[in-house]
Amino acid sequence: MTSFLRYIVIRVFYFFLTIFTAFSITYLLLRLMPVNAVENAIAQITAQGQVYDPQALIILRRQLYELFGLTGSPIDQYLRFLRSVFSLDFGPSIMAFPTPVMELIHRALPWTIGLLLFSVIISWVVGNILGILSAIKEGSWVSRILQGVAVTLHPLPYYVFALALIFLFAYLIPLFPLTGSSVYIERISIDVIIGIIRNATLPALSIIIVSALGWWFLSSRTLTIRMLGEDYVEYAILRGIPWRRIYRDYILKNIMMPQITALGLALGTVFSGAVITEALFAYPGLGILLFRAVSTGDFPTALGIVSLSIYGVAIGTLILDIIYPLIDPRVRHR
Amino acid sequence: MRGVRIYRGAIRWSLLLKPVFSMTKESVKFKAGIVMLVPVLILGLLSIFSPIYYKSWYFFPKDLPPSLSSVDLFLGTTSNGRSVFWATSNAILNSLVIAILTTLIASHLGLFIGIIAGYRGGLIDRTLMFITDSFVVIPSLPLLIILSMLLKEYLTLPLLSILISITSWPWPARQVRAIVVSLREREYIPIAMLSGLSHSKIVFKEIMPHLMGWHLINATNTVLYAIGSEVGLSILGLSILSEDTLGTMIYWSILGYGALFRGIWWWASPPIIITIIIFTALYLISTSIAEKIEPKLRWIR
Repeated sequence: MTSFLRYIVIRVFYFFLTIFTAFSITYLLLRLMPVNAVENAIAQITAQGQVYDPQALIILRRQLYELFGLTGSPIDQYLRFLRSVFSLDFGPSIMAFPTPVMELIHRALPWTIGLLLFSVIISWVVGNILGILSAIKEGSWVSRILQGVAVTLHPLPYYVFALALIFLFAYLIPLFPLTGSSVYIERISIDVIIGIIRNATLPALSIIIVSALGWWFLSSRTLTIRMLGEDYVEYAILRGIPWRRIYRDYILKNIMMPQITALGLALGTVFSGAVITEALFAYPGLGILLFRAVSTGDFPTALGIVSLSIYGVAIGTLILDIIYPLIDPRVRHR
Repeated sequence: MRGVRIYRGAIRWSLLLKPVFSMTKESVKFKAGIVMLVPVLILGLLSIFSPIYYKSWYFFPKDLPPSLSSVDLFLGTTSNGRSVFWATSNAILNSLVIAILTTLIASHLGLFIGIIAGYRGGLIDRTLMFITDSFVVIPSLPLLIILSMLLKEYLTLPLLSILISITSWPWPARQVRAIVVSLREREYIPIAMLSGLSHSKIVFKEIMPHLMGWHLINATNTVLYAIGSEVGLSILGLSILSEDTLGTMIYWSILGYGALFRGIWWWASPPIIITIIIFTALYLISTSIAEKIEPKLRWIR
């Protein structure tokens, strides 16, 4: 147990170290940009022709300077940036001026997390099952068709496939709405649930199809084929162990480990892709918020979303790291 | 005396490329990839012949469906009266320019850092890999988005490539480092060192030839990544909106002018279809190379 505890403590330490480094890099990159982000943002706001109270503009400018860490000595700036990022306080947003960034994000976050959890888990399970089955039924026509589909889908980002889906479903077979009607959840009713499903189907489909039939299918298939060639599997076959047990105990268990690792590594890509997919379908999650932030030049909101995505990926990896020894006894006893 | 020199003369560059060229003549995947890619490349290169009026708005009547009457109208016209054919052709070329510049920067940076980290080992290795791993943790597209938001007014093709490179060098670096570390374990490297071969010669003559195949794969994947990122950025309106690229064509047609809602499929579909073709083709090429150089690692992208 103590070794398990030590393992977790080390993982948590690494978690904070990676977050810290990631934010430091983000800060450095932002500082290296040869433009004054704040004046740029202010110029974009005033160019939109909205009338701002000069007093409010001065306050906004001061807050932006603090958020981007442009006041005081470089060390002060850096610390202030870290503080706002670690306390998740990004000040007021620009697109909905006095509303704090975190409130906007808070409204959008459940949608994104719901979509991501749902589609990542479904695609991981479906993809792995299909991959193993196709390796077992190697050479059958279903397996061959799946392979062909997988090779096409595997390299595509979700949003490119999403564009193809839009083309197919919205133009040729109009089943789903293209622009999500924003659903406000006041109380749960059948209408609201139908609204959520209608909104989420296309973005979820484009993530699930690409990652299930692309990534997970191909990798689990190849892993299974490799396992089937291993000596211990051959020995098990020779010993006359039933196939069902060979698949369950000899192959499935060994495939789970690399696939769970890959899931951890894929989180960042999944998140990035999902955000843009959301923007395409006007799904009311972080994606559309980012889209609006970009088009209104709202840096605080954009920075908030980026910071949140860094947290999200790091937390996802941490959770997988902690689950890891529960699945793999070898890690537990190291 | 500095010991016996076994190797003399300049580094033979042909030696570096040999594993790459001898690679994939018989692979079906490779051939399929090339067959898909070549028409797209030809269409892209045709943009050299694009008429001077291809950029001007309302030169043609707007929203004309495809017709075979002339090359200009072959794919119809856009909602601002431009020829879709020439726009597509230029879009392919510009997207490829972005992709190739990114590849030149990012995958070579990755190669360089990977070799240094793997070859030198020790503290340098750990520092470089820590930085690399931290970059891997930052989700690439959100980072790209804020960077290009800051530079939105100043974006040009090379600048966009530099931005995309910032997020795309870590993967090649990690992979190259892993291979170099495993190469160092083999006996011939210490022997080469003991026989007085200089570090640069060991790197170029003994290590590089083993890396070229992987480098080519990394380069292909970086091309994919760059095209994908450009499309992603464009969907948010963060690409070079005044130029034709695959991404900006998608942005203007679908998000800007709502081409699909109005049934103008001939404007919206070419960039989508061509992006999918490029992705599939390059993926086939890169896996066929990977299978050739490392049959065991068939599943690696």
